Amino acid sequence: MSRPAARKAAPKGEYIETDSGNKVSRRSAITGTANITLGGRTVIMSDVHLRGDLHATRPSPSTGGSSSKPPAQTAISIGRCTVVSTGSVLKPPSRISRGIVQYYPLKIGDNVYIGPNCCISAIAISNHVHIAANVTIGAFAIIKEGVKILDGCVVPPNMVVPSGSVVGGRPARIVGEVGEGWGVSGGGGGVVGGAEGVEKWVEGGDLRELVRSIK
Amino acid sequence: MAQAFPYTYYSCDCYDSNTNITSAKRASQQAPIADDEDERTFDPRSPRSNYSLYPLEHLLYCEDCQQIRCHRCVIEETLAWFCPACLFEVPSSLIKADGNRCIRNCFNCPVCMSTMMVNSLDDPTNPSSSGGPYILSCPYCHWSTHEIGIEFEKHTGISQQLSRVANGGRQIPTQKERDKERERLKDAEGRKKDDRDILSGSDDSPTRDRVREDIPPSQEDSFSNLSAFYKTQINAQSPASFSSHDVSFSSPASYARIMNLYSTSSTKKQKREKPVPMREASGVFEGLTIFDPATDAATIERIKKEGWSTTLAPAQKLAQINPNIRFESELRPIPSILCTKRGKRCRSCRHILAKPEAKITSTRYKIKLLALNHIPRLSLRALSTPTSQISASGPSASAPAFDYNALRPGIPTHFLLHLSNPLFDPVRVTLATSSTTPGKVQSRVTILCPQFEVGANTDVWDDALQSSLSPVKRTPALNADGQIEAGKIWDRGRNWTSVVIEVVPGFLKPVTTGFSLGGDDGKKKEDEELDEDEDLLEIPIFVRLEFEADMVEQERGIGDPKRSVEGQREKREEAFWAVVGVGRVAPT
Ligand SMILES: [Zn+2]
Ligand SMILES: [Zn+2]
Ligand SMILES: [Zn+2]
Ligand SMILES: [Zn+2]
Repeated sequence: MSRPAARKAAPKGEYIETDSGNKVSRRSAITGTANITLGGRTVIMSDVHLRGDLHATRPSPSTGGSSSKPPAQTAISIGRCTVVSTGSVLKPPSRISRGIVQYYPLKIGDNVYIGPNCCISAIAISNHVHIAANVTIGAFAIIKEGVKILDGCVVPPNMVVPSGSVVGGRPARIVGEVGEGWGVSGGGGGVVGGAEGVEKWVEGGDLRELVRSIK
Repeated sequence: MAQAFPYTYYSCDCYDSNTNITSAKRASQQAPIADDEDERTFDPRSPRSNYSLYPLEHLLYCEDCQQIRCHRCVIEETLAWFCPACLFEVPSSLIKADGNRCIRNCFNCPVCMSTMMVNSLDDPTNPSSSGGPYILSCPYCHWSTHEIGIEFEKHTGISQQLSRVANGGRQIPTQKERDKERERLKDAEGRKKDDRDILSGSDDSPTRDRVREDIPPSQEDSFSNLSAFYKTQINAQSPASFSSHDVSFSSPASYARIMNLYSTSSTKKQKREKPVPMREASGVFEGLTIFDPATDAATIERIKKEGWSTTLAPAQKLAQINPNIRFESELRPIPSILCTKRGKRCRSCRHILAKPEAKITSTRYKIKLLALNHIPRLSLRALSTPTSQISASGPSASAPAFDYNALRPGIPTHFLLHLSNPLFDPVRVTLATSSTTPGKVQSRVTILCPQFEVGANTDVWDDALQSSLSPVKRTPALNADGQIEAGKIWDRGRNWTSVVIEVVPGFLKPVTTGFSLGGDDGKKKEDEELDEDEDLLEIPIFVRLEFEADMVEQERGIGDPKRSVEGQREKREEAFWAVVGVGRVAPT
């Protein structure tokens, strides 16, 4: 159970909390805000870069030209109770088609933990995925539900990681399966009311408690 | 899998208790455990321990045997096969026919093993109608089938296309073509041989040389030749009506064969009266490939010329379907190996412990009996110095993070061991550990409060109500001097209790050098030298639980329902070894 790195003493008001409970660090870099959706109770830590400016530029048939202000298109969508740790970069995947770089929306589900210093260009990350520190996820990779990605792993572009698997290495390979009890918080009904400092959340489980503890 | 400190592993004792079946009874009867088993301390460094220690989430629990079940004491049954790359389920009939590989477009890179993509080589300025030609390419290391001279016309059905083309673009004959060709060549050779026999009688074979001058038979060629040869041999042996394809039980031929197997010896003897020994393959057309030193010489020449870099790494070679290749130019994309979804049963009582939903993309389970719902979760963390503990109201206010990777040797360090109880009954816990950790770096360990109670896992809201009613329930086990008092728990909550463990990490280098009993110098040196992971501080802890549980749980489903209504309670006991990985001892 890794502890997010950015829990060290932060100045008061490190996070701006939105109406839906999202906590966005004042020290994060978010470009193209209009193209980013956060599901609520999601944490964006300091030095995180969300590249919302890299959205699809296909000239939509309704508007004449894309040179004028394009309609807001989702570039990055993040679900509920997801944590993006310090120094990670979320960059929508792109490919060159007919000589033009085309960006595709990057979708991240609920209760996803992204460790510090990751670079994510996946096309889709499902719910309850745990990504350790220093992970690179290549363009158009698909991470299915309940996957654990080990520290320093490089997931090559276009890889599909089936649900419940553990991947590691460079390039990433499926090195195992998460246990049946992975993501199930212990003590039957959860470890609510644990002592100080004892993690009230588990990898791959509900991250609400983790989100709550980040201040 | 390397885990971050601190961690806890739980031991499943199935490897040394081969009395699985009787052990179910033992737990309830509290039969005395054998003495030697009782005395022995668990050594996490023992090579066997590797196979009995698991993180809690990997363990299941058999409610009928009332025991932890690990990977080794469960039976797995495959529920579904699927390709990890395209996530298509493969029916079991196809598994038998095609093997455990994806027959769609899924391939792994033969160089780095990542999933390959189908890419178009179409020239954008002069696009072709089909969008092709296509190649398989690796998005990670950029190896592509272009390097072995293979291109595809369509972007679908890559498996079929690839199976028809050899490296360099040469067509691979189909099975039918192969059979035809073999017959033709055999006839030709037979005729020649006849001629020669008449002429000279010598068995020198210019024909064989002629064949060899061609490309030597590929792995597939040899295999198809050999299998065809054996088929004809079997056909010649068995009764005319029996063919090797005819294996259904309803066919008269196989029925006769089976009857033959089970009939009395007299009929068997009759059959055996005319044994015709089976001939082995004796030529290229029968699948025999004679070792030719010339190929080795050619290989050596090639390595001389092109260098080691063109040869394959052992891992790359082993991943290939044909294991006899040596050079990069002989690599073939590797069809994706299928994954499985499996259910698990208890090895001793055969009850289902885990059964996932059949759908490939689903992570849900129909049945899942987890150990973490039956045995307490142990977790360890460093206790910041007692003085700072007073201001421990907010988790963010904690002192600089404790470095578990650099435990200071010789300095008593306090850790909190936290036990949370998943059971609906209060549990009495007894912890035991040896005073020094096993291994060369001996650390002293003291559990300050080895016996305590952990509350029942009642409704979550009870805790909330309780804490609001009596907020100052916490009385840290500090005495007047600010010292931690032995025999007192540190803190407790609804279903958890924490106690203090004092650890004095040992020194990586023994303080008293030259004190070892080793005779000669060489041996002494070896003794003093630390092995890998010798600086790892792991504490084996024996956990014994006593609690009273309703009979219902055990008799669930089997027993008479009336009995459970009575609400009989029975005393139960559970015990296991756990290993807490504290951290690494820093060098002095
Ligand atoms: Zn076991
Ligand atoms: Zn596939
Ligand atoms: Zn590759
Ligand atoms: Zn059982």
